[in-house]
Amino acid sequence: MDAVFKALADASRRELLDRLRAENGLTLGQLCERLAKSGSPMTRQAVSKHLAILEEANLVAAVKRGREKLHYLNPVPIHEIAERWIGKFERSRLQALSDLKKDLEAHDE
Amino acid sequence: MTDAASFVPKTVYVTYIAAAPEQIWQALTDPAFTRHYFSGFAVDVEPRADGHFGLLYPDGRVHIAGRVLEWSPPRRFSCTWVVEGMQGFDELPECIVTYEIEQAGGSCKLTMTESHSWDVPEAILAGGRAGWPAILSSLKSLLETGNALAIAMAPPPDFIEAVARAVAEKPWLRSR
Repeated sequence: MDAVFKALADASRRELLDRLRAENGLTLGQLCERLAKSGSPMTRQAVSKHLAILEEANLVAAVKRGREKLHYLNPVPIHEIAERWIGKFERSRLQALSDLKKDLEAHDE
Repeated sequence: MTDAASFVPKTVYVTYIAAAPEQIWQALTDPAFTRHYFSGFAVDVEPRADGHFGLLYPDGRVHIAGRVLEWSPPRRFSCTWVVEGMQGFDELPECIVTYEIEQAGGSCKLTMTESHSWDVPEAILAGGRAGWPAILSSLKSLLETGNALAIAMAPPPDFIEAVARAVAEKPWLRSR
């Protein structure tokens, strides 16, 4: 669990997770391309290092397909953390608050 | 026969479970276990390659139907899935769900891979992505503590509409 929090404590790694949420199953090269195209480039070495930390924390799952290594967002550890501290009775209230927040923010625009 | 090589993984989830590979294998293939952690569904599988595979509602109706592609206890279990008994769903191409169990120190790494043969819209993939993390967490909890988690499941927004759209447009016929 320490590994999950350490991995999430870095903005670049959260950025990589966001990329994979938008587009799952990317190679290292594709991730670098997407980052460069959107104006927030990261060196290949940096992406590779961050991916290793995310894999170590089990927030990214990697699958070999032929010669390629594809990276997938793995939210299971985050789900397990939520289950640990959020009981089933709090959940509906938190969901209601989260819905309210989204609703209010949507009307802000 | 399904050509597994033409299927691409679209969703991959991993969890580490403090249990023996044989226990995890049993939890995946024995209805006495799946009923507890898999939203009440009973697995119904013929234990051999090309055997039938299914997930059944508590009243015995079929929810998922498919065939076993690989049966290698206690390491790899792969099967095709088609959703039955819901309007239009059985017209979608089958997908492949593969479970892989690997020893990792004192515990096991369980990997679930959902693979598809066509360019599945995100709104349809979201259906599986809403359910799997909860199901896998619940499986882990059941094996480690003896208690499954209570999971309320509902299809994500636009899921039903996305399936209806895909069934009408049949994009998999174009993407071949």
